[in-house]
Amino acid sequence: MSAVQRTSMLLVALRHRNLVLGGTLSALVVLLAILSLLWTPHSAYELDIANKLKPPSSIHWLGTDHFGRDVMSMIMVGAQNSLIVGFVAVGIGLAVGVVLGLWASAQRGWVEELVMRLSDFTFAFPAILSAIMITAILGPGIVNSVLAIGIFNIPVFARVTRGSANAIWSREFILAARAAGKGRIRITLEHVLPNVLSVIIVQATIFFAIAILAEAALSYLGLGTQPPQPSWGRMLNEAQTFLYLSPHLALFPGLVIVISVLGFNMLGDGLRDLLDPRLSRARLSGYVR
Amino acid sequence: MSVLEVDHLTVALPLPDGAAHAVRNVSFRLERGETLGIVGESGCGKSMTALALMRLLPDGAELHGRIALNGRNLRALDEDAMCHVRGNAIAMVFQEPMTSLNPVHSIGKQVIEPLMLHLGLDRDEAKMETLSLLERVGLVDPRRFYSAYPHQLSGGQRQRAMIAMALSCHPEVLIADEPTTALDVTVQGQILDLIYDVVSERQMSLILISHDLGVIAQTVDRVVVMYGGTVVEQGATPDVFATLAHPYTQGLFAAVPQLGAGRRRLRTIPGTVPELIDLPKGCTFAGRCSLARESCHQQVPDMRTVSQGHTAACLRLDAALATSTFGLRR
Repeated sequence: MSAVQRTSMLLVALRHRNLVLGGTLSALVVLLAILSLLWTPHSAYELDIANKLKPPSSIHWLGTDHFGRDVMSMIMVGAQNSLIVGFVAVGIGLAVGVVLGLWASAQRGWVEELVMRLSDFTFAFPAILSAIMITAILGPGIVNSVLAIGIFNIPVFARVTRGSANAIWSREFILAARAAGKGRIRITLEHVLPNVLSVIIVQATIFFAIAILAEAALSYLGLGTQPPQPSWGRMLNEAQTFLYLSPHLALFPGLVIVISVLGFNMLGDGLRDLLDPRLSRARLSGYVR
Repeated sequence: MSVLEVDHLTVALPLPDGAAHAVRNVSFRLERGETLGIVGESGCGKSMTALALMRLLPDGAELHGRIALNGRNLRALDEDAMCHVRGNAIAMVFQEPMTSLNPVHSIGKQVIEPLMLHLGLDRDEAKMETLSLLERVGLVDPRRFYSAYPHQLSGGQRQRAMIAMALSCHPEVLIADEPTTALDVTVQGQILDLIYDVVSERQMSLILISHDLGVIAQTVDRVVVMYGGTVVEQGATPDVFATLAHPYTQGLFAAVPQLGAGRRRLRTIPGTVPELIDLPKGCTFAGRCSLARESCHQQVPDMRTVSQGHTAACLRLDAALATSTFGLRR
């Protein structure tokens, strides 16, 4: 791709309001998490009972909780937590689900039936309920909650991948590839996967947001991240008791959850607009002749 | 020995209402260096025959009969061995150059792949070969086309790229399924000339599938006329065009618009092609044939000799020959 084309792609990307806004919000959350590895205004773990339940001030920008911990620092460290959950849970879904989806689509027949009926079975349980069930069986904790969210993601990615892959398999260039003597595995890797990648990327971004939300919900219920590790969901839970006394304790964690979920969702929508092949064909002009 | 021998090829496609008999009892020979045309209207089983030769039929399709490449029975091969035959011994060019190339890969990548897959060339050798192939098929300045993506090419250019892909592994047989149907008339001739030139240059055998009698007449040595999944007439192109033996071939020829024939209604063959699920008992064409007698509706016609190497499947061949007024003989 030439420099000119690269610049024009960037300009095209900037024209998508969703993409720009979503990208900015997502980047903000990621930066917050990275920054917290190096620096936080105060320690997120240190108790300071003398200064408990303080409203926002110049010392504690977002106030302190009922143990006197700095809310800003807790939100920053909590961002790490949410992002790791998002990455790992979506990673599990991608790694297993995409492979299953591609396999189902390439083999057809009973393999496809089996994979799809298993997906239906998993889908039959509401996501958060099945996560609660899994953490109830395996015990609460961050690892188990990531696992639970990840397992729920597998059928999502398996379905999306299989659906788009089936559409690609019926295209004529697949027949041409088969006529050129390529086997199913080669065709899957060289022709099907690159053509369904954009759909998978969009889905991954949106399910990243859903994973963050699910982790917050699990932690709120006490099944996710365990103390003293800060987590947005648990901060909300603890804030409940002091809702009338110190509403800021609920406001700020709630706000970052909204911002990050909104950000990743908008990023996903924006990517969908950008990667839609029907739109991009007209955009990437520059005919050879 | 013939390069390709097809005997009693039958294809049945499973449909919800029963099996569709897309190809029935089709037999032909293809000699080394020979060009064979398969002609017929839409749905007559031309493309299914081609896909059956490549063993690329849709899932669940039933295939019977014998397909032999250089005496080797292709139906006995497993999928891996068949993958080696496809692209390597038999290659195919498809109708729609717009959709037959993968939009996410460059032309170069798509041409280079079979070279590395079948011939085991390393990347540099394969790239040199690809560039010379692209040049051979008329994509001048091959380096530019090597890195171009399909959407940046015109239809004719894409079909040239498809031909380069098909030629890459020096196949013995090239199957071209309506290679020019989706192209502009001005480009059609160029692509046909290109196919004809490369086929004779490399002493390949060609199966050209078309509904266009003009294309067939210009390009091929021998012609097979198909109707409703069966072969109704076959023979050397000059013989068939001189003596249109089968009533269907006569009708097909009469339906070709003539330049300078003045303003007149185009002649058509009355009726429509019978449903492949519900085929008549006797001759498939009987329902549309003006010469049909009761026996035509009851008895499946066998191949009868018109002249040396020219056969037609018609019970009323003599009557048909007597009315053959549309041939070049007229």
